[in-house]
Amino acid sequence: MSDHEFKIHHDVSELMKQLGIQSTDAVGAEVYTDMLQKNKTPYITTQVSSHQCKRKIAESTKTPIEFLAKYDELKAKNLRDLDPFVFLLSKLVDEKEVKEFLEKHGREKAEAFGMTLLPHNKITSELPAPGTRMTQQELSELRDRLLKESVPTATTRSDIIRKALKEKEVKRNVNLPHQPDWLFQRPTLTLDFMVGVDGPQDQNILPLGSLPSAMQEQAVIDDILCCMQGYEGKYILARALTERFAPKEFMIDQSLDTSLQELVKRILPLCSNYSTVVRFIEVNYSLSFQDYMVLVAQLEHQMRIGSLTLQKLWFYIQPTMRTMEILALVANSVNRGECIGGTVLSLLHDKTSSLIGVLIIERVVEIIHKKYSLGIFLYTFISSQNHWLASLILRFWRSGSTRELSMTLTQSISFVKQKLLRIISLNLFTYWEQHYTICQERIPVFLQQVADKILNTGKYLNVVRLCGQDVKCPNAEEIVFTLKERTYYDQIEKAYSYASKLLLDLLMEEKDLMARIKSVKHYFLLDKGDFIVQFMDMTEEEMKEGIENIVVNRLESLLELALRTSTANIDPYKDDLRVNLLPYDLITMMFKILSIETNMEKDYRIDPTDLNLTGLESFSFDYVVKWPVSLVLNRKALTRYQMLFRHLFYTKHVERQLCSVWVGNKMAKTYSIQSTRWYSAAFALRQRMLNFVQNFEYYMMFEVVEPYWHSFQAKMETVSNIDEVLSIHTNFLNDCLKDCMLMHPQLLKIVHKLMMVCVTFSNFIQRLSMSTQLGGHASPTGSSAFQGKPSRKEFTEKQKQVLSQHVDDLVSSENFERTIGNFDSNFSRLLIDLLGKIREFSSANCDSKLLNILYRLDFNGFYTEKLEAMSAQRAMMEMSLQSSESGSSDSHPTSFTTQRPENVRYVPGLHKQGQAQSGE
Amino acid sequence: MPREIITLQLGQCGNQIGMEFWKQLCAEHGISPEGILEEYATEGTDRKDVFFYQADDEHYIPRAVLLDLEPRVINGIMNSPYSNLYNPENIYLSKHGGGAGNNWASGYSQAERLYDDIFDIIDREADGSDSLEGFVLCHSIAGGTGSGMGSFLLERLNDRFPKKLIQTYSVFPNLDEMSDVVVQPYNSILTLKRLTQNADCVVVLDNTALHRIAAERLHIEKPSFAQINQLVSVVMSTSTTTLRYPGYMNNDLIGLIASLIPTPRLHYLMTGYTPLSTDPQVASVRKTTVLDVMRRLLQPKNMMVSTPVHRQANHCYISILNIIQGEVDPTQVHKSLQRIRERKLAQFIPWGPASIQVALSRKSPYIQTAHRVSGLMLANHTSISSLFDRTLRQYDKLRKREAFMDQFKKEAVFKDNLDEFDNSREVLQQLVDEYGAATRPDYLTWGTQQASASAERS
Repeated sequence: MSDHEFKIHHDVSELMKQLGIQSTDAVGAEVYTDMLQKNKTPYITTQVSSHQCKRKIAESTKTPIEFLAKYDELKAKNLRDLDPFVFLLSKLVDEKEVKEFLEKHGREKAEAFGMTLLPHNKITSELPAPGTRMTQQELSELRDRLLKESVPTATTRSDIIRKALKEKEVKRNVNLPHQPDWLFQRPTLTLDFMVGVDGPQDQNILPLGSLPSAMQEQAVIDDILCCMQGYEGKYILARALTERFAPKEFMIDQSLDTSLQELVKRILPLCSNYSTVVRFIEVNYSLSFQDYMVLVAQLEHQMRIGSLTLQKLWFYIQPTMRTMEILALVANSVNRGECIGGTVLSLLHDKTSSLIGVLIIERVVEIIHKKYSLGIFLYTFISSQNHWLASLILRFWRSGSTRELSMTLTQSISFVKQKLLRIISLNLFTYWEQHYTICQERIPVFLQQVADKILNTGKYLNVVRLCGQDVKCPNAEEIVFTLKERTYYDQIEKAYSYASKLLLDLLMEEKDLMARIKSVKHYFLLDKGDFIVQFMDMTEEEMKEGIENIVVNRLESLLELALRTSTANIDPYKDDLRVNLLPYDLITMMFKILSIETNMEKDYRIDPTDLNLTGLESFSFDYVVKWPVSLVLNRKALTRYQMLFRHLFYTKHVERQLCSVWVGNKMAKTYSIQSTRWYSAAFALRQRMLNFVQNFEYYMMFEVVEPYWHSFQAKMETVSNIDEVLSIHTNFLNDCLKDCMLMHPQLLKIVHKLMMVCVTFSNFIQRLSMSTQLGGHASPTGSSAFQGKPSRKEFTEKQKQVLSQHVDDLVSSENFERTIGNFDSNFSRLLIDLLGKIREFSSANCDSKLLNILYRLDFNGFYTEKLEAMSAQRAMMEMSLQSSESGSSDSHPTSFTTQRPENVRYVPGLHKQGQAQSGE
Repeated sequence: MPREIITLQLGQCGNQIGMEFWKQLCAEHGISPEGILEEYATEGTDRKDVFFYQADDEHYIPRAVLLDLEPRVINGIMNSPYSNLYNPENIYLSKHGGGAGNNWASGYSQAERLYDDIFDIIDREADGSDSLEGFVLCHSIAGGTGSGMGSFLLERLNDRFPKKLIQTYSVFPNLDEMSDVVVQPYNSILTLKRLTQNADCVVVLDNTALHRIAAERLHIEKPSFAQINQLVSVVMSTSTTTLRYPGYMNNDLIGLIASLIPTPRLHYLMTGYTPLSTDPQVASVRKTTVLDVMRRLLQPKNMMVSTPVHRQANHCYISILNIIQGEVDPTQVHKSLQRIRERKLAQFIPWGPASIQVALSRKSPYIQTAHRVSGLMLANHTSISSLFDRTLRQYDKLRKREAFMDQFKKEAVFKDNLDEFDNSREVLQQLVDEYGAATRPDYLTWGTQQASASAERS
């Protein structure tokens, strides 16, 4: 499932939850999802369309003014996805049904919350007020209709809702540097107007009207120049601000000449804008107004020499006015939207793009260009809370003094530095995937496309940093704010390739990643066979114990001994291997994993009461992986290795069991030939089991693991970054898991049962031979007793006879034959079943290697007949099912050794006679 | 704690092939004739301690016991550069040194008398290993010491180490030439009984076939013992290669032979090797693929047993294990198996699943070979019985005339009667019958049939 699909599924389920739709409608959810997927078309926002929508809503609502005000407010906040949302609402306006439904639901919901729905809520439910909870719930209910109607914007809908909600709740847990209180408490530390402090105190001011008009002009010019620098003049006074970001308003002496007054009024917005910008700068950013100040100084000079008239002033400030206006506009948008970081950049970007065509734009860009040098830095820092925050930071630079604006990317978890490494090792499972996330809304729009790259770059560099290496990006140049996105991309691309190479080199060269993986392969994929054999030899007793009786320390020391005395000794990383006893066996584990998200899930809950695991079943290796190798050999990968290991290990164990049956039965060859009758069936069965197990091992090791390993190695030669390494490695493991049947629950189940039959069988035979030995030793033997005596030969002959007879007695009972017969039919049925399933499976999946098992196991065509019989039977059954639905013949092909002709049935009495005769 | 294997070399032939075997092993592991690890071999990834133990940091000593009743061959070894390789305590020479005179009975009774001395050595050696897996016995079945003493040892080893595996490399006499040992059939039949009943796995080294291969395939007109023995040593070392260069599988002896031997008595294995050459320089360099190797291994001319494999249609393979050495792409193995199966190049038993097992193994890095890939086949084939059949016929001919019986009657075993001969013959005949039965689908009920048949007879 792609991310995209997943998102839709998620949204739908979220909606359903919000709407209180019962989950019994499981069918519904999928239908909706399908419809959504089919009917989704990209929605393109245009000024026109959003305007139309706006109008439509305004028309249909009873409070159009409130709506428009709300819209403007949200728009000013530069909320993303506002327009699609409005579009959606406008569509909703047409839908009576949905409206009613929503209303109804909204009321119900409200009542449930103990609120009453005010009448105007009915209307505002149509209003875009994503900040309120009600709206969200109500909106959620639109789903049904949306589905019917195939509205394209469905995915964005709940996104925006969630986002809006989040914005409310989270209230910007941003890591902006704290602004000290004094900044606000010391009003004189400002370039802005100081209201009501000095101006009016001057008693010498004459009313302007009493002056001649030339004087009036001079005084006003003086005042304007003051105002341009943020002082109140004598005749032009600033009004106190009604709110922090409101535009400054001025009072002009009413006695001023009317014509001058008009001109002054036209000029004053410049001062007002100046005030806005200055306030903005003081709160947020340091900006120097060099150009502007120079202008003011020049104007003042002109005034001093008396050549400045108000007209002239008006003329001179023309370009500056426009610039200042735009700057103020930007400042206002930023303030009102409470934008930070990436959003500011997005805003700047938008504004500049939207102003293209205006002549002045070049000037603006130049100013922004000058004032804001945008640097993109990969950067970690310790914040005042002593938390580590690793992130990519966009900084605004201004003449050396920098201030972090925001985190474009921020961690999902932040943690205390001291605990860092420990936590990393605990969180390895999710570290790489979940440690860093992208906060979509904070990414500047123009960097959206490369956001993932930036994230990866940051991730890589951070890893290197965490390894204690200092990173100095050699090509970290200042990134100049520009309209051309390409320039950013090049820079980022450079940084990215540097970072990925740095980390890759670190892992491959310094941390010797390949040798690590090889080492893991030695142990987990049983590559070092002698070590495994040795380890199994030494731990044989332990492994038989129940899990609670096993002393892990003892296993550990045996493991170490096995490591040191086998060829594993030359592996430099052998000491990182550990013993691990898991509280569930492989089959349970696999089924738990495989059944996740299926309706079978409940079937595989572990019932703690029936946990009677032996050491062997719960045993697994573990491997200590240190940072940063743990990036690749992470928990997920190790778990996969463990699954493979347990599978292989158990198969190996079964092989050994069967081999020890072989050793136990080797004495049988000295028995008289007649007694072979009892063992031949058992031997043939053992041989078939061994044949199966060994070929299965061969298949897994030489046809699955080894070839995939080869191609893995080849691919690793050419990787260029660590994400590639991760995916290659994961693919390797997944391929192995898949072809070792671990991903096919049906096949796995049968294989598991087959193994169980083999183990039970070998236990049975071993118990049997143990009791035969006891019987044999009941007679006085011991090699020293008859050493060198001439009668030895006769004695051993006799002993043998006694022995074989004893065995005969033991096994001649019908019981033995029946037991072997049972084993035989069980094994054969399962094996044929397995082969049949494999055949079926691989005819559906041509690329699968599973068919190779069939080739191996049925090399001499021994099973072919049975297989064909089975498939024929199945076909028959299907036919009969189709025709009458009654055929239920479940007679699988069973034993291979029960084809004994009737006339040679064994008769105990006769047999003993025959044996007595041959013994003489 | 490896799964150690102790090698017992008996008699003239056994010591000769044993010596070649150790030479080969030393070369493969980078051990000098003095037992010192060569400079270039200190970083090896091989497993030496299955066959060697370390006296000190650099000295490697073979887990070998050298036994003989006459001094010639052992003295030869002691005068060779390899004289310091062996543990001198493990070399046992009968004090009177007269040998067994090519008489099984003599070898057997002498071994009986020397029981304590011999088993002192073997016990010491067994105690020195942590998890002994088994014994490998090198001997010939036709002579006196190897066959007689070997037979005795086989019996006693089984009593003493009932859970240990006993594998033998048994040299069968050359039937093409007139032998100087006239009592060969007697010796053979007596030894074969023990091999059948007391050994777990017998690798048949047929001198007839070895000579034929030397002459026909290697173009050596009069092959010397040394040249023949080198062939043998290659077979021996290759068949142990998965133990010494561990990989995924077949890292212990039991894992190798268990699947080869489904029923305990049918444990005689044939070998085949390709590409054949005694002298690396002469070897023709050919591009060898896995399929080439596997196909050639199935050709009778590469088999080291002189039984016409394909002439008798109903003889078949019970099992096959191919040990393939060298740079092999594992995916090739499957393809080769598929081809062999499609073309039906090998006939298998009808009574059970059987396939060609392939063990991939590394090659020693210290020996340069001209061949990229080489392969050894260990096969359990029913036609091996023709070898026994031939021995039986020869025995019957001699026995009818009661020829050369005097020497045997001198010894304790045959003092009272010649039952041992009859008994051995019966065991061998039954073996031949069982191999015959193994070609038929109803083999698994064969024992019962036999039992009821004999019951009816009585």
